[in-house]
Amino acid sequence: MISLWHFLAVGAVLFGLGLIGFLTRRNLITMFLCAEMMLQGVVLNFLAFGRYHGNMSGQVFGLFIITVAACEAGLALALFLTLYRRGKSLDSADWQTVREAGLPPTVDTDPLPRPPAEPLPPTLPVAGRLPDTFAASHPETTRA
Amino acid sequence: MPPALANPVAQLALAAVLGLLGFYLLLPKPRLRSVAGGTFLVIAAFAVLAGFVYLRFGKPIESLLPDVLFCLFAGGAVLFGTLLVTNRNPARGAIAFAFVILSTCGLFLLLAAPFLVAATIIIYAGAIIVTFLFVLMLSQVTGPSDENDRTREPLLGSLAGFAFIGLLLMTLNLSAAQPGAAVADAPPLPVEPLTKADRKLLAEAAQELDTVPTADDLVKIQAAVKAAKDKIAEIVGEPGQPLSGATVFDRHRLFAQGTADAREAAFLRATDKLQRANVKMEDEAALATSVDGAKAAAKKLRDELALYSGYGQLPARNVANVGFVLYSEHILAVELAGTLLLVATIGAVAIAGRRKEATA
Repeated sequence: MISLWHFLAVGAVLFGLGLIGFLTRRNLITMFLCAEMMLQGVVLNFLAFGRYHGNMSGQVFGLFIITVAACEAGLALALFLTLYRRGKSLDSADWQTVREAGLPPTVDTDPLPRPPAEPLPPTLPVAGRLPDTFAASHPETTRA
Repeated sequence: MPPALANPVAQLALAAVLGLLGFYLLLPKPRLRSVAGGTFLVIAAFAVLAGFVYLRFGKPIESLLPDVLFCLFAGGAVLFGTLLVTNRNPARGAIAFAFVILSTCGLFLLLAAPFLVAATIIIYAGAIIVTFLFVLMLSQVTGPSDENDRTREPLLGSLAGFAFIGLLLMTLNLSAAQPGAAVADAPPLPVEPLTKADRKLLAEAAQELDTVPTADDLVKIQAAVKAAKDKIAEIVGEPGQPLSGATVFDRHRLFAQGTADAREAAFLRATDKLQRANVKMEDEAALATSVDGAKAAAKKLRDELALYSGYGQLPARNVANVGFVLYSEHILAVELAGTLLLVATIGAVAIAGRRKEATA
C-alpha cells in the first residue's frame, strides 16, 4: 500500500532545493520560479497526507495553494515589470538600498568572467606589397 | 556497504555534505564554478539520499508499475529542480520548471488526485508561458551579467537548504517504523478502501433506489447499507484499543480509527436518512398521493449512496468528491480564495499599469 514517507521525502527535497534557489539566486524571475517549486513540495505533502487519511481535505488544500500561487504569480510579475522599468535590470541586488538599517551593503568583488572574444573577420593581405629586399633598400617607399 | 554507513543518520549527513559541496560548485559565480565536479557530487548526494529512502522506508507502493512510475517522477522532479536552481540562463530555468511541474503532476496522479493534476497543468502552463515571455522581454542574455552569473552567499545558502532537507528527513526517519519490526507489527492500513463487495452492495442499493421503491425495498436497502457498514468496521477494527508506548504509529492508528468512525458516522447518517425516508414513504404510501415526491426523495438518496460508494477510493468520482467537499465543508474558504484572486488582479493592474509615471 502507498507509503506516506516516500512522498514526504520528495516534498522535503523539492522544498529544500527551492529554498536554496530562493536564497542564493539574484535573478528575480529565477527566484520566483524557485518559490513556486517550494509550493509544489508543500502541495505534495498535503496530497500525501490526504491520501494517507483517505479524505479529500488534502486535495482541497492543494487547490487553495494553487489559487494563492496564481495570485502570487500575477503580483510578482507586475512588480518585476515595475522594477525593471526603474532599474533596467532584473538583479535583486540593485534594490539593496532598501535593506535593513545597519547592515553593510553587498559588494561584488570578483570581476565577471569575460565573454569569449569573437574571432576577428578574416583579413586579406595588402595588395601590391613590395618585396622585402626592395623595401629595405628604399625605405621611403614603405608605408607608415 | 561500510558499517559506518548502515546508520540512517550517517547516510543523511553524508548526503547533506555531498549535496552542499555539489551545489556550492554548481551555483553560478565568477570563481570556483565547476560544472563537472558539482554534477558528480550532486548525483552522488541524491544517490545516497535515494538509498536512504529505500533502505529506511522500503518500497513506496507495493506493486511494480507504480513503483517504477514513482521513481521516475520523483527522480525527474529532483533532477529538473536542481537544473532550475543551478542554471544561469533563466529561460532554461523556466523550461526546467515546466518539467518539475510535469513530474509533480505524475506524483499527484499516483496520489489519486486527477482533478488537481488537470488544474495544475492548465494553470502552470499559462504561468510558465507568461514567465517565459517576461524572460524574453526583460532579460537579454547576451553576455555575463550580475543577475545571472553571481549568487548571494552560495555556500551559506546551500548549507541552509541541505541542513533543512537533512533535518526534515531525520524527523521522518524518527517517525517511520523500524524496518525489521515493521513487517510483523505493521500498523493497520489507516484507511482500507472499500472492497469491491462493499461497493457492489452500495451500488446495488443505489440501483434499487433508481427504480420506484416501495417501503419493502427501502427496508432491504437499509439492511444492505448496514451490512456494508459492518464490513467496514470489521476491516478497520474497533476503536478503543490500549495505547501503550505511544509512538507515531499509534497516533496514526488512532487517526485511522477516527477516520473510520467518521465514515461510520456518514453511513449512519445515510441509514438515518433512509429510515426517515422510509417513514415518509410509508405515510405517502398510506396516502397514495405523491408518487413524484417519493421518487424525488429516492433519487436524492440514490445520489448520496453513489457518492459514498466512491468515497473509499479517492480516484473514483474524484471531481464529484472534490466539489462535494469544497462546497459543503469549505464554502467560506472558497469565497475567501475568490476574493483574494480579485484583490490580487486589481493589485497587479494597479502596480503594472502606471505607464505615465514610468516614462516621465
